[in-house]
Amino acid sequence: MSSFKNIYINEWIKTMKRPRSYIGFAIIIFICGMLQSAFYHDGKEILSFVTQSLENSFDINGTILNGNLICFILLQTLIVQLPLLVAFVTGDMVSGETSSGTIRFLLTRPASRTKIIIAKWLAGLTYTFFLLIVLGVMALFVARGVFGNGDLMALNSEGLTIVPADDLGWRWFYALCIAFLSLSVVATLSLFFSCILDNSITPIVTVMAIIIIFTIIGMFDIPSFDVIKPFLFTTHMISWKSLFEDPIPFADIRFSCIVLGVHLVVLLGLSLYFFNKKDISS
Amino acid sequence: MKFVSVLFLLLSSVLLHAQDAKSLLRNVNKKFLAVNDYKAAVFMKFNIPGVKIKNMNGQVMYKRPNKFRVKANGIFFLPKQNPMQNMSQILMDTNAYTAVFSGNEVVQGMACAVVNLVPLQSNNEIILGRFWIDSKSALVLKSQITTKNNGTIETENRFGALGKYALPDRMLITVEVAKIKVPKMLAADLNKKSTDKSTATNTREKGTIELLLSDYKLNQKLSDAEFVETQ
Repeated sequence: MSSFKNIYINEWIKTMKRPRSYIGFAIIIFICGMLQSAFYHDGKEILSFVTQSLENSFDINGTILNGNLICFILLQTLIVQLPLLVAFVTGDMVSGETSSGTIRFLLTRPASRTKIIIAKWLAGLTYTFFLLIVLGVMALFVARGVFGNGDLMALNSEGLTIVPADDLGWRWFYALCIAFLSLSVVATLSLFFSCILDNSITPIVTVMAIIIIFTIIGMFDIPSFDVIKPFLFTTHMISWKSLFEDPIPFADIRFSCIVLGVHLVVLLGLSLYFFNKKDISS
Repeated sequence: MKFVSVLFLLLSSVLLHAQDAKSLLRNVNKKFLAVNDYKAAVFMKFNIPGVKIKNMNGQVMYKRPNKFRVKANGIFFLPKQNPMQNMSQILMDTNAYTAVFSGNEVVQGMACAVVNLVPLQSNNEIILGRFWIDSKSALVLKSQITTKNNGTIETENRFGALGKYALPDRMLITVEVAKIKVPKMLAADLNKKSTDKSTATNTREKGTIELLLSDYKLNQKLSDAEFVETQ
Protein backbone atom coordinates (compact mmCIF):
# COMPACT_ATOMS: atom_id res chain seq x y z
CA MET A 1 0.00 0.00 0.00
CA SER A 2 2.82 2.39 0.90
CA SER A 3 4.53 1.57 -2.41
CA PHE A 4 1.35 2.53 -4.23
CA LYS A 5 1.19 5.74 -2.22
CA ASN A 6 4.79 6.51 -3.22
CA ILE A 7 4.03 5.88 -6.86
CA TYR A 8 0.99 8.14 -6.63
CA ILE A 9 2.96 10.94 -4.94
CA ASN A 10 5.69 10.53 -7.51
CA GLU A 11 3.15 10.83 -10.35
CA TRP A 12 1.54 13.86 -8.73
CA ILE A 13 4.96 15.57 -8.35
CA LYS A 14 5.75 14.76 -11.99
CA THR A 15 2.43 16.28 -13.06
CA MET A 16 2.94 19.46 -11.09
CA LYS A 17 6.57 19.84 -12.17
CA ARG A 18 5.53 20.26 -15.79
CA PRO A 19 4.98 23.94 -16.66
CA ARG A 20 2.01 23.04 -18.88
CA SER A 21 0.06 21.95 -15.78
CA TYR A 22 -0.17 25.58 -14.70
CA ILE A 23 -1.54 26.79 -18.02
CA GLY A 24 -4.99 25.43 -17.04
CA PHE A 25 -5.03 27.32 -13.74
CA ALA A 26 -3.82 30.51 -15.46
CA ILE A 27 -6.51 30.22 -18.17
CA ILE A 28 -9.28 29.68 -15.61
CA ILE A 29 -8.17 32.66 -13.51
CA PHE A 30 -7.80 34.82 -16.62
CA ILE A 31 -11.20 33.90 -18.13
CA CYS A 32 -13.00 34.29 -14.79
CA GLY A 33 -11.38 37.67 -14.18
CA MET A 34 -12.07 38.84 -17.73
CA LEU A 35 -15.75 37.79 -17.73
CA GLN A 36 -16.36 39.15 -14.23
CA SER A 37 -14.88 42.48 -15.27
CA ALA A 38 -17.06 42.49 -18.43
CA PHE A 39 -20.19 41.72 -16.40
CA TYR A 40 -19.25 44.34 -13.82
CA HIS A 41 -19.25 47.03 -16.50
CA ASP A 42 -21.85 45.81 -19.03
CA GLY A 43 -23.74 43.09 -17.17
CA LYS A 44 -27.07 44.89 -17.12
CA GLU A 45 -27.02 45.45 -20.89
CA ILE A 46 -26.03 41.81 -21.52
CA LEU A 47 -28.86 40.57 -19.29
CA SER A 48 -31.40 42.87 -20.88
CA PHE A 49 -31.18 40.67 -24.02
CA VAL A 50 -32.77 37.91 -21.96
CA THR A 51 -35.12 39.92 -19.76
CA GLN A 52 -36.25 42.43 -22.41
CA SER A 53 -39.52 40.67 -23.23
CA LEU A 54 -40.32 40.31 -19.52
CA GLU A 55 -39.41 43.89 -18.70
CA ASN A 56 -42.05 45.12 -21.16
CA SER A 57 -44.72 43.68 -18.88
CA PHE A 58 -43.07 43.44 -15.46
CA ASP A 59 -40.93 45.33 -13.05
CA ILE A 60 -38.25 42.86 -12.02
CA ASN A 61 -37.57 43.43 -8.33
CA GLY A 62 -34.40 42.25 -6.63
CA THR A 63 -30.82 42.02 -7.82
CA ILE A 64 -30.54 39.76 -10.86
CA LEU A 65 -26.88 40.46 -11.51
CA ASN A 66 -25.31 38.77 -8.50
CA GLY A 67 -22.48 36.37 -7.74
CA ASN A 68 -24.62 33.28 -8.25
CA LEU A 69 -25.67 34.28 -11.77
CA ILE A 70 -22.06 35.13 -12.67
CA CYS A 71 -20.95 31.73 -11.35
CA PHE A 72 -23.70 29.99 -13.35
CA ILE A 73 -22.67 31.75 -16.57
CA LEU A 74 -18.97 31.11 -15.93
CA LEU A 75 -19.52 27.42 -15.21
CA GLN A 76 -21.63 26.84 -18.28
CA THR A 77 -19.07 28.69 -20.41
CA LEU A 78 -15.99 27.02 -18.96
CA ILE A 79 -17.33 23.51 -18.62
CA VAL A 80 -17.11 23.26 -22.42
CA GLN A 81 -13.47 24.42 -22.45
CA LEU A 82 -12.29 22.70 -19.29
CA PRO A 83 -12.03 19.21 -20.89
CA LEU A 84 -9.42 20.61 -23.27
CA LEU A 85 -7.34 21.83 -20.31
CA VAL A 86 -7.67 18.45 -18.59
CA ALA A 87 -6.70 16.54 -21.76
CA PHE A 88 -3.72 18.85 -22.18
CA VAL A 89 -2.19 17.47 -18.98
CA THR A 90 -3.57 13.93 -18.72
CA GLY A 91 -3.16 13.16 -22.44
CA ASP A 92 0.56 12.57 -22.24
CA MET A 93 0.86 10.94 -18.83
CA VAL A 94 1.86 7.63 -20.41
CA SER A 95 2.61 8.54 -24.02
CA GLY A 96 4.91 11.37 -22.91
CA GLU A 97 6.99 8.89 -20.95
CA THR A 98 6.87 6.39 -23.82
CA SER A 99 8.15 8.93 -26.34
CA SER A 100 10.87 10.21 -23.99
CA GLY A 101 11.90 6.70 -22.95
CA THR A 102 11.43 7.18 -19.20
CA ILE A 103 8.69 4.52 -19.22
CA ARG A 104 11.43 1.84 -19.26
CA PHE A 105 12.84 3.13 -15.96
CA LEU A 106 9.37 3.39 -14.49
CA LEU A 107 8.58 -0.23 -15.33
CA THR A 108 11.82 -1.53 -13.84
CA ARG A 109 10.32 -0.78 -10.40
CA PRO A 110 8.75 -3.70 -8.56
CA ALA A 111 5.25 -2.17 -8.72
CA SER A 112 2.83 -3.78 -11.16
CA ARG A 113 1.74 -2.02 -14.34
CA THR A 114 -1.80 -1.90 -12.94
CA LYS A 115 -0.59 0.02 -9.88
CA ILE A 116 1.39 2.42 -12.04
CA ILE A 117 -1.56 3.19 -14.33
CA ILE A 118 -3.97 3.58 -11.39
CA ALA A 119 -1.49 5.96 -9.74
CA LYS A 120 -1.24 7.98 -12.95
CA TRP A 121 -5.04 7.99 -13.25
CA LEU A 122 -5.45 9.21 -9.67
CA ALA A 123 -2.81 11.90 -10.23
CA GLY A 124 -4.82 13.02 -13.28
CA LEU A 125 -8.03 13.09 -11.24
CA THR A 126 -6.30 15.07 -8.48
CA TYR A 127 -5.19 17.61 -11.06
CA THR A 128 -8.78 17.78 -12.40
CA PHE A 129 -10.07 18.22 -8.85
CA PHE A 130 -7.77 21.18 -8.21
CA LEU A 131 -8.74 22.74 -11.55
CA LEU A 132 -12.37 22.57 -10.44
CA ILE A 133 -11.53 23.96 -7.00
CA VAL A 134 -9.83 26.96 -8.62
CA LEU A 135 -12.84 27.37 -10.92
CA GLY A 136 -15.25 27.10 -7.98
CA VAL A 137 -13.33 29.64 -5.90
CA MET A 138 -12.96 32.08 -8.79
CA ALA A 139 -16.45 31.66 -10.19
CA LEU A 140 -18.47 31.45 -6.97
CA PHE A 141 -16.62 33.01 -4.07
CA VAL A 142 -14.85 35.81 -5.94
CA ALA A 143 -18.05 36.58 -7.90
CA ARG A 144 -20.09 36.67 -4.66
CA GLY A 145 -17.46 38.99 -3.17
CA VAL A 146 -17.70 41.35 -6.14
CA PHE A 147 -21.40 41.13 -7.08
CA GLY A 148 -22.94 40.00 -3.79
CA ASN A 149 -25.21 37.06 -3.00
CA GLY A 150 -28.83 36.69 -4.13
CA ASP A 151 -31.41 34.54 -5.90
CA LEU A 152 -30.17 32.82 -9.03
CA MET A 153 -31.89 33.48 -12.33
CA ALA A 154 -30.91 30.26 -14.09
CA LEU A 155 -31.06 30.49 -17.86
CA ASN A 156 -32.14 27.62 -20.06
CA SER A 157 -33.57 27.44 -23.55
CA GLU A 158 -37.09 26.91 -22.18
CA GLY A 159 -37.00 30.10 -20.10
CA LEU A 160 -35.87 31.20 -16.66
CA THR A 161 -35.91 29.55 -13.26
CA ILE A 162 -35.52 31.65 -10.14
CA VAL A 163 -33.75 29.66 -7.43
CA PRO A 164 -33.79 31.22 -3.92
CA ALA A 165 -30.36 32.11 -2.51
CA ASP A 166 -30.81 29.91 0.58
CA ASP A 167 -31.48 26.89 -1.63
CA LEU A 168 -28.29 27.19 -3.67
CA GLY A 169 -25.48 25.86 -1.45
CA TRP A 170 -26.22 22.16 -1.90
CA ARG A 171 -26.96 22.67 -5.62
CA TRP A 172 -23.53 24.23 -6.21
CA PHE A 173 -21.87 21.39 -4.27
CA TYR A 174 -23.55 18.66 -6.35
CA ALA A 175 -23.06 20.67 -9.55
CA LEU A 176 -19.30 20.67 -8.91
CA CYS A 177 -19.45 16.93 -8.09
CA ILE A 178 -21.15 16.19 -11.43
CA ALA A 179 -18.66 18.48 -13.20
CA PHE A 180 -15.86 16.52 -11.53
CA LEU A 181 -17.36 13.22 -12.73
CA SER A 182 -17.64 14.62 -16.27
CA LEU A 183 -14.06 15.84 -16.31
CA SER A 184 -12.87 12.55 -14.82
CA VAL A 185 -14.29 10.83 -17.90
CA VAL A 186 -12.24 13.18 -20.09
CA ALA A 187 -9.13 12.54 -17.97
CA THR A 188 -9.69 8.77 -18.29
CA LEU A 189 -10.29 9.02 -22.04
CA SER A 190 -7.01 10.92 -22.38
CA LEU A 191 -5.23 8.29 -20.30
CA PHE A 192 -6.68 5.56 -22.52
CA PHE A 193 -5.34 7.19 -25.70
CA SER A 194 -2.11 7.89 -23.90
CA CYS A 195 -1.77 4.16 -23.24
CA ILE A 196 -2.35 3.06 -26.82
CA LEU A 197 -0.42 5.81 -28.60
CA ASP A 198 3.29 6.43 -28.32
CA ASN A 199 3.29 10.02 -29.45
CA SER A 200 2.95 12.73 -26.81
CA ILE A 201 0.70 15.12 -28.80
CA THR A 202 -1.62 12.70 -30.64
CA PRO A 203 -3.65 11.61 -27.57
CA ILE A 204 -4.32 15.25 -26.64
CA VAL A 205 -5.40 16.14 -30.18
CA THR A 206 -7.52 12.97 -30.45
CA VAL A 207 -9.40 13.74 -27.23
CA MET A 208 -9.97 17.33 -28.32
CA ALA A 209 -11.26 16.10 -31.70
CA ILE A 210 -13.63 13.64 -30.01
CA ILE A 211 -15.01 16.33 -27.72
CA ILE A 212 -15.51 18.75 -30.61
CA ILE A 213 -17.24 16.10 -32.80
CA PHE A 214 -19.49 14.88 -29.98
CA THR A 215 -20.41 18.47 -29.02
CA ILE A 216 -21.33 19.26 -32.64
CA ILE A 217 -23.49 16.12 -32.80
CA GLY A 218 -25.22 17.28 -29.62
CA MET A 219 -25.88 20.77 -30.94
CA PHE A 220 -28.11 19.76 -33.83
CA ASP A 221 -31.71 18.59 -33.48
CA ILE A 222 -31.32 15.95 -36.21
CA PRO A 223 -33.41 12.78 -35.70
CA SER A 224 -30.62 10.41 -36.83
CA PHE A 225 -28.33 11.87 -34.14
CA ASP A 226 -30.98 11.37 -31.44
CA VAL A 227 -30.20 7.63 -31.34
CA ILE A 228 -26.57 8.09 -30.35
CA LYS A 229 -26.83 11.32 -28.33
CA PRO A 230 -27.83 9.66 -25.00
CA PHE A 231 -24.66 7.53 -25.11
CA LEU A 232 -22.17 10.32 -25.77
CA PHE A 233 -20.43 11.51 -22.62
CA THR A 234 -20.54 15.12 -23.86
CA THR A 235 -24.37 14.99 -23.73
CA HIS A 236 -24.16 14.42 -19.98
CA MET A 237 -21.34 16.84 -19.21
CA ILE A 238 -23.75 19.71 -18.66
CA SER A 239 -26.26 17.67 -16.67
CA TRP A 240 -25.16 19.71 -13.60
CA LYS A 241 -27.39 22.47 -15.03
CA SER A 242 -30.45 20.32 -14.33
CA LEU A 243 -29.85 20.90 -10.62
CA PHE A 244 -31.01 24.46 -11.19
CA GLU A 245 -34.33 23.49 -12.76
CA ASP A 246 -37.68 23.35 -10.98
CA PRO A 247 -38.63 20.58 -10.42
CA ILE A 248 -35.20 18.97 -10.50
CA PRO A 249 -35.19 16.04 -12.98
CA PHE A 250 -33.41 13.63 -10.60
CA ALA A 251 -34.03 10.63 -12.88
CA ASP A 252 -32.25 12.38 -15.78
CA ILE A 253 -29.36 13.39 -13.53
CA ARG A 254 -29.07 9.82 -12.21
CA PHE A 255 -29.02 8.49 -15.80
CA SER A 256 -26.33 11.01 -16.75
CA CYS A 257 -24.20 9.98 -13.76
CA ILE A 258 -24.62 6.31 -14.68
CA VAL A 259 -23.59 6.95 -18.30
CA LEU A 260 -20.57 8.96 -17.14
CA GLY A 261 -19.71 6.28 -14.55
CA VAL A 262 -19.90 3.50 -17.16
CA HIS A 263 -17.64 5.52 -19.48
CA LEU A 264 -15.18 5.97 -16.62
CA VAL A 265 -15.04 2.28 -15.69
CA VAL A 266 -14.86 1.03 -19.29
CA LEU A 267 -12.15 3.52 -20.28
CA LEU A 268 -10.10 2.77 -17.16
CA GLY A 269 -10.48 -0.95 -17.81
CA LEU A 270 -9.37 -0.52 -21.42
CA SER A 271 -6.41 1.63 -20.28
CA LEU A 272 -5.33 -1.11 -17.86
CA TYR A 273 -5.77 -3.81 -20.49
CA PHE A 274 -3.77 -1.99 -23.16
CA PHE A 275 -1.04 -0.81 -20.76
CA ASN A 276 -0.58 -4.32 -19.37
CA LYS A 277 -0.31 -5.67 -22.94
CA LYS A 278 1.90 -2.83 -24.12
CA ASP A 279 5.17 -3.80 -25.66
CA ILE A 280 7.77 -1.28 -24.50
CA SER A 281 10.17 -1.03 -27.37
CA SER A 282 11.40 2.56 -27.10
CA MET B 1 -89.90 66.77 -34.78
CA LYS B 2 -89.90 63.05 -34.07
CA PHE B 3 -86.22 62.89 -34.99
CA VAL B 4 -85.36 65.75 -32.60
CA SER B 5 -87.23 64.04 -29.78
CA VAL B 6 -85.39 60.77 -30.36
CA LEU B 7 -82.04 62.61 -30.48
CA PHE B 8 -82.92 64.47 -27.28
CA LEU B 9 -83.84 61.23 -25.57
CA LEU B 10 -80.63 59.56 -26.71
CA LEU B 11 -78.44 62.49 -25.61
CA SER B 12 -80.12 62.80 -22.25
CA SER B 13 -79.73 59.06 -21.68
CA VAL B 14 -76.01 59.26 -22.49
CA LEU B 15 -75.62 62.27 -20.17
CA LEU B 16 -77.56 60.52 -17.44
CA HIS B 17 -75.32 57.44 -17.76
CA ALA B 18 -72.21 59.61 -17.67
CA GLN B 19 -73.52 61.25 -14.54
CA ASP B 20 -74.31 57.82 -13.04
CA ALA B 21 -70.79 56.66 -13.79
CA LYS B 22 -69.22 59.75 -12.22
CA SER B 23 -71.33 59.50 -9.06
CA LEU B 24 -70.48 55.79 -8.78
CA LEU B 25 -66.80 56.65 -9.08
CA ARG B 26 -67.17 59.35 -6.46
CA ASN B 27 -68.54 56.70 -4.08
CA VAL B 28 -65.57 54.46 -4.85
CA ASN B 29 -63.19 57.38 -4.23
CA LYS B 30 -64.73 58.08 -0.84
CA LYS B 31 -63.45 54.69 0.31
CA PHE B 32 -59.94 55.38 -0.93
CA LEU B 33 -59.89 58.73 0.89
CA ALA B 34 -60.24 57.11 4.30
CA VAL B 35 -56.76 55.56 4.01
CA ASN B 36 -53.66 57.75 4.04
CA ASP B 37 -51.22 54.89 4.22
CA TYR B 38 -51.16 51.18 4.87
CA LYS B 39 -48.84 48.27 5.41
CA ALA B 40 -49.84 44.64 4.86
CA ALA B 41 -48.35 41.18 4.60
CA VAL B 42 -48.51 39.76 1.09
CA PHE B 43 -48.15 36.23 -0.22
CA MET B 44 -47.32 36.19 -3.92
CA LYS B 45 -48.05 33.33 -6.29
CA PHE B 46 -46.57 33.57 -9.76
CA ASN B 47 -47.65 31.84 -12.94
CA ILE B 48 -45.66 33.52 -15.66
CA PRO B 49 -45.04 31.70 -18.97
CA GLY B 50 -41.38 30.83 -19.36
CA VAL B 51 -40.53 31.75 -15.76
CA LYS B 52 -40.42 29.28 -12.90
CA ILE B 53 -40.51 31.12 -9.60
CA LYS B 54 -41.51 29.94 -6.16
CA ASN B 55 -44.28 31.55 -4.12
CA MET B 56 -43.02 34.30 -1.89
CA ASN B 57 -43.89 36.24 1.25
CA GLY B 58 -43.40 39.97 1.45
CA GLN B 59 -44.74 43.23 2.68
CA VAL B 60 -46.73 45.80 0.77
CA MET B 61 -46.74 49.51 1.65
CA TYR B 62 -48.73 52.44 0.32
CA LYS B 63 -48.73 56.12 1.13
CA ARG B 64 -50.92 58.78 -0.41
CA PRO B 65 -50.74 60.10 -3.05
CA ASN B 66 -48.53 57.75 -5.05
CA LYS B 67 -45.90 56.01 -2.95
CA PHE B 68 -46.03 52.25 -3.26
CA ARG B 69 -43.59 49.45 -2.55
CA VAL B 70 -43.57 45.68 -2.30
CA LYS B 71 -40.72 44.52 -0.08
CA ALA B 72 -39.54 40.89 -0.32
CA ASN B 73 -36.29 38.97 -0.18
CA GLY B 74 -35.08 37.93 -3.61
CA ILE B 75 -36.17 38.27 -7.20
CA PHE B 76 -39.86 38.72 -7.95
CA PHE B 77 -42.06 40.17 -10.64
CA LEU B 78 -44.82 42.78 -10.49
CA PRO B 79 -46.77 44.23 -13.40
CA LYS B 80 -45.27 47.36 -14.90
CA GLN B 81 -48.60 49.15 -14.58
CA ASN B 82 -49.21 47.95 -11.07
CA PRO B 83 -53.00 47.93 -10.60
CA MET B 84 -52.65 48.16 -6.82
CA GLN B 85 -50.64 51.32 -7.17
CA ASN B 86 -52.54 52.83 -10.04
CA MET B 87 -56.18 52.10 -9.43
CA SER B 88 -56.64 54.73 -6.74
CA GLN B 89 -54.55 57.20 -8.77
CA ILE B 90 -56.55 56.61 -11.94
CA LEU B 91 -59.92 56.86 -10.28
CA MET B 92 -59.11 59.81 -8.00
CA ASP B 93 -58.29 62.28 -10.75
CA THR B 94 -61.83 62.64 -12.08
CA ASN B 95 -60.86 65.49 -14.44
CA ALA B 96 -58.33 63.35 -16.28
CA TYR B 97 -60.84 61.08 -17.98
CA THR B 98 -64.31 60.68 -19.38
CA ALA B 99 -66.40 58.05 -17.61
CA VAL B 100 -69.01 56.13 -19.59
CA PHE B 101 -71.43 53.65 -18.13
CA SER B 102 -71.55 50.68 -20.48
CA GLY B 103 -73.93 48.20 -18.90
CA ASN B 104 -74.26 45.67 -16.12
CA GLU B 105 -72.46 42.37 -15.67
CA VAL B 106 -72.26 39.74 -12.96
CA VAL B 107 -68.82 39.36 -11.35
CA GLN B 108 -68.21 37.01 -8.39
CA GLY B 109 -71.97 36.51 -8.25
CA MET B 110 -72.66 40.21 -7.79
CA ALA B 111 -74.33 42.58 -10.22
CA CYS B 112 -71.75 45.14 -11.28
CA ALA B 113 -71.93 48.36 -13.25
CA VAL B 114 -69.36 48.43 -16.02
CA VAL B 115 -67.71 51.83 -16.34
CA ASN B 116 -65.29 52.71 -19.11
CA LEU B 117 -62.72 55.44 -18.50
CA VAL B 118 -61.14 57.16 -21.48
CA PRO B 119 -58.21 59.45 -20.61
CA LEU B 120 -58.58 62.98 -21.96
CA GLN B 121 -54.86 63.48 -22.55
CA SER B 122 -53.45 61.67 -25.58
CA ASN B 123 -49.98 61.33 -24.04
CA ASN B 124 -51.35 59.08 -21.29
CA GLU B 125 -49.85 55.57 -21.13
CA ILE B 126 -53.32 54.21 -20.42
CA ILE B 127 -55.56 53.96 -23.48
CA LEU B 128 -58.69 52.63 -21.80
CA GLY B 129 -59.73 51.62 -18.31
CA ARG B 130 -62.70 49.36 -17.69
CA PHE B 131 -64.03 48.89 -14.16
CA TRP B 132 -66.65 46.47 -12.87
CA ILE B 133 -68.06 48.20 -9.81
CA ASP B 134 -70.46 46.67 -7.30
CA SER B 135 -72.84 49.60 -6.93
CA LYS B 136 -74.10 48.42 -3.52
CA SER B 137 -70.69 48.34 -1.84
CA ALA B 138 -68.95 50.76 -4.24
CA LEU B 139 -66.05 48.33 -4.67
CA VAL B 140 -64.11 47.65 -7.84
CA LEU B 141 -64.38 43.88 -8.25
CA LYS B 142 -62.63 43.73 -11.56
CA SER B 143 -60.63 46.09 -13.74
CA GLN B 144 -59.08 45.95 -17.16
CA ILE B 145 -56.48 48.54 -18.09
CA THR B 146 -55.26 48.71 -21.67
CA THR B 147 -51.90 50.41 -22.06
CA LYS B 148 -49.96 51.67 -25.04
CA ASN B 149 -46.85 49.59 -24.52
CA ASN B 150 -47.62 46.82 -22.06
CA GLY B 151 -50.82 45.28 -23.38
CA THR B 152 -53.83 44.69 -21.18
CA ILE B 153 -53.70 44.16 -17.42
CA GLU B 154 -56.71 42.55 -15.84
CA THR B 155 -57.26 42.53 -12.08
CA GLU B 156 -59.83 40.69 -10.05
CA ASN B 157 -60.26 41.75 -6.42
CA ARG B 158 -61.87 39.91 -3.55
CA PHE B 159 -62.72 41.90 -0.47
CA GLY B 160 -63.02 40.86 3.14
CA ALA B 161 -63.21 42.78 6.39
CA LEU B 162 -61.38 45.80 5.01
CA GLY B 163 -63.73 46.17 2.06
CA LYS B 164 -65.01 49.33 3.70
CA TYR B 165 -61.64 50.91 2.84
CA ALA B 166 -61.52 49.31 -0.62
CA LEU B 167 -58.55 47.19 0.47
CA PRO B 168 -58.69 43.71 -1.07
CA ASP B 169 -57.76 40.38 0.56
CA ARG B 170 -56.94 38.79 -2.73
CA MET B 171 -55.90 40.18 -6.09
CA LEU B 172 -55.49 38.15 -9.25
CA ILE B 173 -53.54 40.10 -11.82
CA THR B 174 -53.47 38.82 -15.39
CA VAL B 175 -50.82 40.28 -17.68
CA GLU B 176 -49.96 39.72 -21.32
CA VAL B 177 -46.37 38.52 -21.62
CA ALA B 178 -44.23 38.27 -24.73
CA LYS B 179 -42.69 34.83 -25.18
CA ILE B 180 -39.25 34.55 -23.57
CA LYS B 181 -36.63 33.22 -25.89
CA VAL B 182 -33.21 32.59 -24.37
CA PRO B 183 -30.63 32.08 -27.15
CA LYS B 184 -29.36 28.49 -27.15
CA MET B 185 -25.77 29.67 -26.95
CA LEU B 186 -26.48 31.90 -23.94
CA ALA B 187 -28.46 29.16 -22.24
CA ALA B 188 -25.68 26.69 -23.18
CA ASP B 189 -28.30 23.96 -23.63
CA LEU B 190 -26.29 22.59 -26.49
CA ASN B 191 -27.63 19.09 -26.08
CA LYS B 192 -31.20 19.88 -25.11
CA LYS B 193 -33.86 19.17 -27.69
CA SER B 194 -36.12 22.15 -28.25
CA THR B 195 -39.70 21.36 -27.25
CA ASP B 196 -41.07 24.58 -28.71
CA LYS B 197 -41.83 24.18 -32.40
CA SER B 198 -43.54 27.54 -32.85
CA THR B 199 -41.80 29.97 -35.16
CA ALA B 200 -43.71 33.09 -34.13
CA THR B 201 -41.46 35.42 -32.17
CA ASN B 202 -44.00 38.04 -31.08
CA THR B 203 -46.61 35.73 -29.56
CA ARG B 204 -48.07 36.95 -26.28
CA GLU B 205 -49.27 34.65 -23.55
CA LYS B 206 -51.18 35.35 -20.37
CA GLY B 207 -49.38 35.29 -17.06
CA THR B 208 -50.93 35.66 -13.63
CA ILE B 209 -49.74 36.97 -10.28
CA GLU B 210 -51.91 36.27 -7.28
CA LEU B 211 -51.51 38.47 -4.22
CA LEU B 212 -53.00 37.36 -0.92
CA LEU B 213 -53.04 40.29 1.45
CA SER B 214 -53.47 40.10 5.18
CA ASP B 215 -52.57 41.81 8.44
CA TYR B 216 -53.36 45.31 7.20
CA LYS B 217 -52.14 48.20 9.34
CA LEU B 218 -53.85 51.43 8.36
CA ASN B 219 -52.77 55.03 8.80
CA GLN B 220 -49.51 54.29 10.61
CA LYS B 221 -47.87 57.50 9.32
CA LEU B 222 -45.29 55.65 7.25
CA SER B 223 -42.14 57.63 6.57
CA ASP B 224 -40.99 58.28 3.00
CA ALA B 225 -37.73 56.49 3.77
CA GLU B 226 -39.59 53.17 3.87
CA PHE B 227 -40.36 53.52 0.18
CA VAL B 228 -36.74 53.92 -0.88
CA GLU B 229 -35.38 50.81 -2.57
CA THR B 230 -31.97 49.75 -1.29
CA GLN B 231 -29.75 47.46 -3.38
